[in-house]
Amino acid sequence: MRFDSSAMIILDGAMGTMLQSAGLKPGELPELLALTNPKLLTSIHQRYAQRGADVIYANTFGANRRKLAPTGHTVEEVVTAAIRAAKAGCSWTKAKVAVDIGPLGELLAPLGTLPFEKAVSQFAEIAAAGERAGADLAVIETMTDLYEAKAALLAVKEATNLPVMVTMSFDESGRTFTGCTVASMAATLEGLGADAIGINCSLGPQQLLPLLRELCAATHLPVIAKPNAGLPDPVTGRYSLTPAAFAAAMVDIVRAGVSIVGGCCGTTPEHILALRSAVISTTPGRREIRQRSIVCTPTTPVVLDGVRVIGERINPTGKKRFQQALLENDLDYIADVAIAQEDAGAAILDVNVGYPGVDEVMMLPRVVQKLQEVTTLPLQLDSTNPEALAAALRVVNGKAAVNSVNGDPKVLAAILPVVKKYGAAVVGLTLDESGLPKTAEQRVAIARRILDAALAHGIPREDVWIDCLTLTVSAQQEQAEATLEAVRRVRQELGLQTVLGVSNISFGLPNRLLVAQTFLIRALHAGLTLPIINPNQKEMMDAVAAFRVLSGEDENCGAYVERFANAASPAPQIPNSGSRIPNLQDAIIRGLKADASRIARAALETGPALSIVENHLIPALDRVGADYEAGRAFLPQLLSAAQAAQAVFAVIQERIAASGGQSVRKGKVIIATVKGDIHDIGKNIVKTVMANYGYELLDLGRDVPPETIVEVTIRANVRLVGLSALMTTTLPAMEETVRQLQQLDNPPAIMLGGAVVTEDYAANLGCHYAKDAKAAVEIARSVLG
Amino acid sequence: MPLNIREALRYLGVTGEPDDALLQQAQQLSAELTSRIIPHYSWRMLPLEHSGGQLTLAGRPLPGHSAARMLDDCHQCALLICTLGAAFDLWLRQMQARDMVRAALLDALGSAYVEAACDSATEEIAARFPDMYLTDRFSPGYGDLPLTLQPALLELAGARRIGLTCTPSLLLAPQKSVTALIGLAEQPQMARIRGCQHCRMNNTCTFRKAGTTCAI
Repeated sequence: MRFDSSAMIILDGAMGTMLQSAGLKPGELPELLALTNPKLLTSIHQRYAQRGADVIYANTFGANRRKLAPTGHTVEEVVTAAIRAAKAGCSWTKAKVAVDIGPLGELLAPLGTLPFEKAVSQFAEIAAAGERAGADLAVIETMTDLYEAKAALLAVKEATNLPVMVTMSFDESGRTFTGCTVASMAATLEGLGADAIGINCSLGPQQLLPLLRELCAATHLPVIAKPNAGLPDPVTGRYSLTPAAFAAAMVDIVRAGVSIVGGCCGTTPEHILALRSAVISTTPGRREIRQRSIVCTPTTPVVLDGVRVIGERINPTGKKRFQQALLENDLDYIADVAIAQEDAGAAILDVNVGYPGVDEVMMLPRVVQKLQEVTTLPLQLDSTNPEALAAALRVVNGKAAVNSVNGDPKVLAAILPVVKKYGAAVVGLTLDESGLPKTAEQRVAIARRILDAALAHGIPREDVWIDCLTLTVSAQQEQAEATLEAVRRVRQELGLQTVLGVSNISFGLPNRLLVAQTFLIRALHAGLTLPIINPNQKEMMDAVAAFRVLSGEDENCGAYVERFANAASPAPQIPNSGSRIPNLQDAIIRGLKADASRIARAALETGPALSIVENHLIPALDRVGADYEAGRAFLPQLLSAAQAAQAVFAVIQERIAASGGQSVRKGKVIIATVKGDIHDIGKNIVKTVMANYGYELLDLGRDVPPETIVEVTIRANVRLVGLSALMTTTLPAMEETVRQLQQLDNPPAIMLGGAVVTEDYAANLGCHYAKDAKAAVEIARSVLG
Repeated sequence: MPLNIREALRYLGVTGEPDDALLQQAQQLSAELTSRIIPHYSWRMLPLEHSGGQLTLAGRPLPGHSAARMLDDCHQCALLICTLGAAFDLWLRQMQARDMVRAALLDALGSAYVEAACDSATEEIAARFPDMYLTDRFSPGYGDLPLTLQPALLELAGARRIGLTCTPSLLLAPQKSVTALIGLAEQPQMARIRGCQHCRMNNTCTFRKAGTTCAI
């Protein structure tokens, strides 16, 4: 089956609605009808085929392993029978049969507990069974989570040779339930190789029209619309649109450029007949497809139609604290670096975890998943290792960029296929196997070669970004001009996005920032669109803001005015008061983060870190803790103080990392939410408070299997383990974890907490009971000192 | 849709009059929450049958005494599902990485918000049946109504239409979600869910653990 935006394709209508009117009880599993009453399915398919549907969706929407498990039937069995029933219903027509794949009914991690690869394998099972049974194409529909849609699409592409259509469901806000935008859907699914994409279910045709218009402009693929027959009445269950009204509304959708149309919930064979008669002689409206470069996460499409800052800080090179975090698996620190850049105005985050002793293939995807939990920014994966890139691109939610390839044919051959498969953008460095080019001319020639290679691999030119190489001006002074000239020509002659790591320019010079800022301004003027900089350097971001005003990108200077109108007044200077630490305790108690870290920084100049912790930080926390216990302070105050103390700790750790000294940590504590439980705010509150007492917290996260907790306990020789569970249904997992830990030769102390845990419950299991964060600190003190 | 900020603060254990700074922070965050997140809900009417001491909802058994007592006078029942959606979970997760104080507040406000949305749905149901009386709204986990009903209720309610699912350990996902039953009767219904003995948090509530109550 081939797709082409100019030819109308008519899809079928609802199956569920038809089954309900044939007597299917609410809550019965409709997929089983393929085995119990295939004739009923065939008769419904037949009615759709008779009324002009070109594509028949087999009754396999929920035929996945999880839903079928309680029935004792296999996916293969049900899918095979369903395809057979569909084929029997349309064998006398030219209609094609699709294996229909709906959501698994379980949210993928991190929103739920289903791991990405498990989702891929469940989808692959359905798709492969469909292909074996003779399906002509695969349809992925009613997706609300872009990550799940990606898992399904990858599965179909990897497990079959079927063409594949993907449709997602949007609500009246113009987003899916998980917040995915139309632009992000288009960029991601087109990149991953869908043959047609569109929107189905949840709303009627009128409500979908504006979203479909947006989609028609955002993708080169044929666009699908399969709306509901209006909205259902909650009492009668009936949908509001008659066949005639539905068909009339669908004409507008076709005029907007949609070429593949059908009906979802509430539509019947009569709706499809009316639809076919109304649109069959209509030519789909001409689409104005925007040619644009874009990267995205589900909620945040970043269109590259101006200057977009790529944050460079997630990179261990020359950063001791970052190197330490990588070696210790301290993903929270890396997350903090990301958050600071997002808050400072970065649009994309470069992610580099290459460091001796770090397994990039394992680490890069882990960091990507962590970052996706805490920021909404698209990522640029900075690695030369094709395996690490593939592993990370697989778990990217949205569309990322890869940094980088160069003109060396061997590098291009290794990395471009990975970029293509996962629909990423790619940065090409203008150097090759013969080394660094000397002239602008040579750089442009390499850029052309990279572009040609990318195009040959099927990567569109909008997704090719060129880095013309910043060299250190103090070492190779004439190269600065060559770089700028190359940027100008790549932008003008090739029309590509341009990337430059800006800060390199000033290496070895005094007042580096001035040179970097000046170079940045010149590069932007030459046509640089994607500066890689440290967004925490205000002067660099100021220059970008000013440039956007002058280039007209910042319309009416709005962003510029806002930036400087809201600029904080300079921080007051704290007078140096010798060895005394004025008010550090007060600042912590009152939750004044910035003040507390400033005072601590001053104090570190004169006194040892340990005395700050012992004499100021812990007494302050104890005072708030005592107030909390006495009911004079509440959780928000306790947490405010803890966060201020954490800011002080960060200052201390930075200092220690820089001087290579020993950390002030006291003992290790594992903290985790048990298997099956995804509610972890309670655990995170405990972590926030405990971290300040000098314990080294190994936060294993949520939904943690007992085996993982045992393994880390042994490996890191941990003497205290904290477990949290919110629901009665996850208590068995808590008990199992306790059992496994207590069987160890040298079992650790265990403390239990969470809404459903009581003192008696903990005591019966031989564990400590942590009723709240303060109690957890007391337990740690008694166990670890 | 306004939410009850005092109730949210009570979830956080704040008793008595909250201080101004906290109240102000909660109000700001509440405004941000209600403008950023739209709760989704949906309800449908289902038949109840009482036969041979067995109560069934659309042919599925509703085990236990609690449901039987609550729905004693009813022959139909609204099945209500409501969620703040996954976008709330993502936001809360991002906030936890930035500021635990705001995150704890947002978490509590989210709970109050989903309750407010359920209240609004309940009013909608009452308005559709002006001659009927509604029972209290109750959910799996209430009394002896088991959590194991969750998957069946989600299936019956067509929960995928609002993006609501449950994990194999029977947790609703997204986190701020509710499935609930509301019986419709022809005679006035007594308010049964009041006081600690009917509360889901009966054994686990921090107030009770501290020897007090939340005074609802």
